[in-house]
Amino acid sequence: MMYVIVILLVVLAIYGLAYVFYGKKILEQKVVKASPERLTPAYERFDGIDYVPANKYVLFGHHFASIAGAGPIVGPATAMVWGWGLPLIWVLFGNIFIGAVHDYLAIMASVRHGGLSIMSISEGVMGRKAKYIFLAYVWFALVLVLAAFLSVASSTFVAVPTAATISVLFMPIALLFGMLVYRTGVSVKTGTLIALVLLVLAFFYSLNTPLYLTYEAWVVVLTLYSILAAALPVWYLLQPRDYINAYMLWTFVALAILGALIIPELMFTGPIYTGFAAPGTVIGALPGTSAGKALTAYFWPTVPLVIACGALSGFHSVVGSGTTSKQLANELDALLVGYGGMLTEGAVSSLAVITPIALAWSFASLQAATGAPIASALLKVGINATKTPVITGLAAAERFYTGYGIEQALAWSRVFGATYFETFFVTFRTFAAWALSGFVLTTLDTSNRLARFAWREFFDWVKPRSESAYKALTNRWVASIVAVVIGALMAYPKITVYIPETGQTLTVYAYSVVWPAFAGTNQLLAALALLTGALWVYAILKVRGGISWLIMVPAMFLWVTVTAGLIWWMIAVVPGLPTLYQIGAGSIVAVSIVLDFLLIGLFVAGLRRAK
Amino acid sequence: MFPTSGKEALGLFLTVLALAIFVYEILYVGLFIGTIGVKGSVATDAVLISFGWLLILIGPALWLGEVPTNVKKLIEAKTGRKLS
Repeated sequence: MMYVIVILLVVLAIYGLAYVFYGKKILEQKVVKASPERLTPAYERFDGIDYVPANKYVLFGHHFASIAGAGPIVGPATAMVWGWGLPLIWVLFGNIFIGAVHDYLAIMASVRHGGLSIMSISEGVMGRKAKYIFLAYVWFALVLVLAAFLSVASSTFVAVPTAATISVLFMPIALLFGMLVYRTGVSVKTGTLIALVLLVLAFFYSLNTPLYLTYEAWVVVLTLYSILAAALPVWYLLQPRDYINAYMLWTFVALAILGALIIPELMFTGPIYTGFAAPGTVIGALPGTSAGKALTAYFWPTVPLVIACGALSGFHSVVGSGTTSKQLANELDALLVGYGGMLTEGAVSSLAVITPIALAWSFASLQAATGAPIASALLKVGINATKTPVITGLAAAERFYTGYGIEQALAWSRVFGATYFETFFVTFRTFAAWALSGFVLTTLDTSNRLARFAWREFFDWVKPRSESAYKALTNRWVASIVAVVIGALMAYPKITVYIPETGQTLTVYAYSVVWPAFAGTNQLLAALALLTGALWVYAILKVRGGISWLIMVPAMFLWVTVTAGLIWWMIAVVPGLPTLYQIGAGSIVAVSIVLDFLLIGLFVAGLRRAK
Repeated sequence: MFPTSGKEALGLFLTVLALAIFVYEILYVGLFIGTIGVKGSVATDAVLISFGWLLILIGPALWLGEVPTNVKKLIEAKTGRKLS
């Protein structure tokens, strides 16, 4: 049994110490030696579209909202099948020693290389081949992210139509803020105040006004939105949108902390540890099949395939060396944005997902301990606590909505009166769904912008041969359309898959047959990006001794873990998948493993050269 | 703020159109009917507000799309480079 307050204090203390002693004292001051005097690419290469300096809090909002997709929420919620202890340890360890270092180095390496992506930077330390392999790999991964997030956002808007209303209302408010500050000379403080007042009004309006469209219609609308959002100048939409969005996301995290402070004496009803092996469904095997039931999801090495963004994610290096590095106004801002952004994401996973789920694990136990009408509140949202007595009986996203809603309802009904418990539960559950859709939407359009960058860098070899062909090929509208349209073509149609083992058919969106591969390919990207960052520190910055090992050892540990995880996935999961999944996801992972060894060979060669 | 080219005039028109759609859908349909669109179908109101949503992104960009003067001045001061 564990008190909520203990976890809260431990997490905040660890993150605070990590930020000061590892982030600031080691990474910023001893490794990259960040200087406010050095001009950043946002100034040097200013183009008014992608290279535009941003206030550090605006950039923090952008970076945090972009790296935090569904991952920091759905991953830890899924990982709770191992109990709450192991996922929490992985989030804290992964965050501080791998994820935050990976994100910070990706930003700083990019800043020192004119805002180029980590994939292009690999050319300097691993050779030209590595660069193009890396760029192609990332572009395809981003197309997959676009397909999945188009689908997730559309499904969320259909399931929670009030999330669609607030999302639609949010954009004009953010644009108004940008116009007020940039065009009319209104101060940031006044502009923020006006935008926040409108946002609060929009919240209350949205709570009672659902916006209904079908899944297919949302896919079309969000595809058009992604094209516009990826091609328009960052100062026009992305910066004001992410700045205002950050307030919503901070409110979400702050409420999680405040909630725990109001109910400090409550204890987790969930187990700290349930076992080292979980059913194969946790790592992508299909439910109902023998691979799905078999206990093949060993915590190590499969945990990075389950918990991504909350601990570490390769996608972050693409964001950090993509949109973020091109807007960084001062090298000293990178610590807050990169290292701090990742710790904040870890706080989302540990305090807003793991803690509430661990608290609300057993509905009956929590009801007995608190006297709150939990069972009747759950019924209001269609959950029967008799049929589903524990929270892990719900789907991953539902675990999060429900856990967050219960924790907040327990806290605020203590302040305002027990009679409001059900109202608070329903309201905060909706708020949690809104936060998830907010994360997903920002990640969606940032992904498309990043795909445009990767596309542009991939075709740089055309430039010396034909300037006009290069311009046409990398035109920002063309490059924005290509990736998201391919993504939409995978998110839109439904296909029927036959499962021989159960004799049943499964109707899924087309992207689903390749999506199971994403977890592995994304984490492989994290391992390779961190190795590139570590090599950059060693070969270019010439950092030697204990500090270089502090970066290199976690990078190697991650590479071994992810490679082992991918090989295990091929052994334990792929044989049980239907043929279409084997061809789709199976072949992607197989190709990834081959590229993995090719790139590690180039890494070792680079390391030898650096010596 | 007054349009000086065809592109800017189109941007102003799209902005006004988008705002008109928003005012109608949010203040009239949303407040008086209580929902925008019909569950499980593609209704006119939902299509209209989605269209307005996209227009509000593109309209002001065409109308006021160039880099704001204060941003330009900041870059020029920091880099010593004259922006066109």
